[in-house]
Amino acid sequence: MDLTIKNNEAKFLVRLADTSLILGQRLAEMCSNGPFLEEDIALSNISLDLFGRAEEMYKIICDIEGNNFTPDDLVFRRNEREYFNIKLVEQPNEDFAWVIVRQFLHDIYVQEVYTQLLNSENSEVVGLAQKVLKEVRYSYIHSKDWMERLGLGTEESNARVQSAVDHQLKYIEEIFAFDELDKTYLADSDQLRSVWENDVNATLAACNLERKEIMPLTMRDFRDGFHSEHIGHLLSIMQYLPRAYPDAKW
Amino acid sequence: MDKFEKAFNDIIEKDLKVEPRDWMPEKYRKTLIRQVSQHAHSEIIGMQPEGNWLLRAPSLRSKQVLLAKIQDEAGHGLYLYSVAETLGISRQEMNAQLHSGEAKYSSIFNYPTLTWADMGAVGWLVDGSAIVNQVSLQRTSYGPYARGMVRICKEESFHQRQGYEIMVKMAFGTPEQKEMAQDALNRFWEPSLMMFGPHDADSAHSSQSMAWKIKRESNDHLRQRFIDRTVPQAEYLGLTIPDPNIKWNEETGHYDHSPFNWDEFWNVVNGNGPCNQERLDHHKKALSDNTWVREAAAAYAVKTENVVA
Repeated sequence: MDLTIKNNEAKFLVRLADTSLILGQRLAEMCSNGPFLEEDIALSNISLDLFGRAEEMYKIICDIEGNNFTPDDLVFRRNEREYFNIKLVEQPNEDFAWVIVRQFLHDIYVQEVYTQLLNSENSEVVGLAQKVLKEVRYSYIHSKDWMERLGLGTEESNARVQSAVDHQLKYIEEIFAFDELDKTYLADSDQLRSVWENDVNATLAACNLERKEIMPLTMRDFRDGFHSEHIGHLLSIMQYLPRAYPDAKW
Repeated sequence: MDKFEKAFNDIIEKDLKVEPRDWMPEKYRKTLIRQVSQHAHSEIIGMQPEGNWLLRAPSLRSKQVLLAKIQDEAGHGLYLYSVAETLGISRQEMNAQLHSGEAKYSSIFNYPTLTWADMGAVGWLVDGSAIVNQVSLQRTSYGPYARGMVRICKEESFHQRQGYEIMVKMAFGTPEQKEMAQDALNRFWEPSLMMFGPHDADSAHSSQSMAWKIKRESNDHLRQRFIDRTVPQAEYLGLTIPDPNIKWNEETGHYDHSPFNWDEFWNVVNGNGPCNQERLDHHKKALSDNTWVREAAAAYAVKTENVVA
């Protein structure tokens, strides 16, 4: 089955869909592993939002591509190099601080992306963006609250969240290396960066966290299907059944 | 009999509800704490065997449905812990009792989930037996427990349908899928029936619980209702109940069945099931790995309260 996405808008949208899916899968790993029951439920909620968002976006992509394949085909039949998520969301759940920092850095980014997509010429995308913004607002409040609690909580929590920030900021630079597709479908890609920078800097400062100088790493672009090593493991677990039983319907 | 005891007996007699501030016999309170905390722990430990397949769910739809279902179970655990808290025990104490083995949870969750069909069998059979029991508990005499059950039952009926939907897809799917479905039924049938607990004659807590209307129907009665309901569902799926003696008895108006393997049941209850150790270790690890998170939240709360003050 040829799962190549050919249309430019669909190529842009699949980056968002994949980012949502992979983060949803990472958060699902937290189910029954949360620090207490209420938080376990909250993380599952956010994971469900992300899967739902990915599914709706894949439907739009499949429509644009003439419905030659389905959202499930895209999720379960593509290989590592055919995935286009940002590398940040592949990063593992080393501890709860990693989960929160990854979510926070992601939430600011997608909040601005979907705000800009309200101006899309594609009415399906606008409809989805309206829905997503309601969800992201909650997720953002949740992750930002935890940044505060962990940053200002104890010495240990501050050290853990600082370590997570130091690691995950390495995966940010590529997000803002916009290509022509980004510039076409985002209303204002420059603003995306400035909104993100302002919020991150202000939050880190308010939470007694440092934003260290990070040398740009040599890393190929997620837009070309490049990843960290984590993606292969994540996909092999996620795709196991449809790959092992290609004729089965689930 | 003092006036408090008389008031309590009146409530039970008239089928009214006992509320947290009402006087109640110490043994009534203890029995409820034991039962409600066991029920809560079952919801929470029950997240694990299903969580085992969450990351491998084979479609976007099945993944979302399964995650929503497991999340519901966490929510049920939360209601039930809250019910137990109204009886004067804290969540920390309940967790400590779970970890020490003093408090139990439903033994069914000590069985491994080996294939995707087990997600079907767990929903269909395990949630199916749970519903039969819980529907009956909607009339239990302790008010907060009864009200919690009303809400839980609404969600559980979705869970059972979710399980049966997976069974339908598997049983009518490829030969390999059908084989997985039969295998799951073979493994979960008898343990699901034993979920209702020992036979009435052997049930240690039953008679007092029935008198206090904590329990409204006997183990055997509920079990039979579940069997009668489930055998035709297996027939529709074209699957075979793994009991050669299952047959309709015109005289009793129920299905007959073979005796159960109670030795296995007690062995699993007493800690020697296939996954007892793993389930408890998982629960302990999630709590202990995150001690620092709870400490941070508590420290932050103290600091911000001081600021407000």
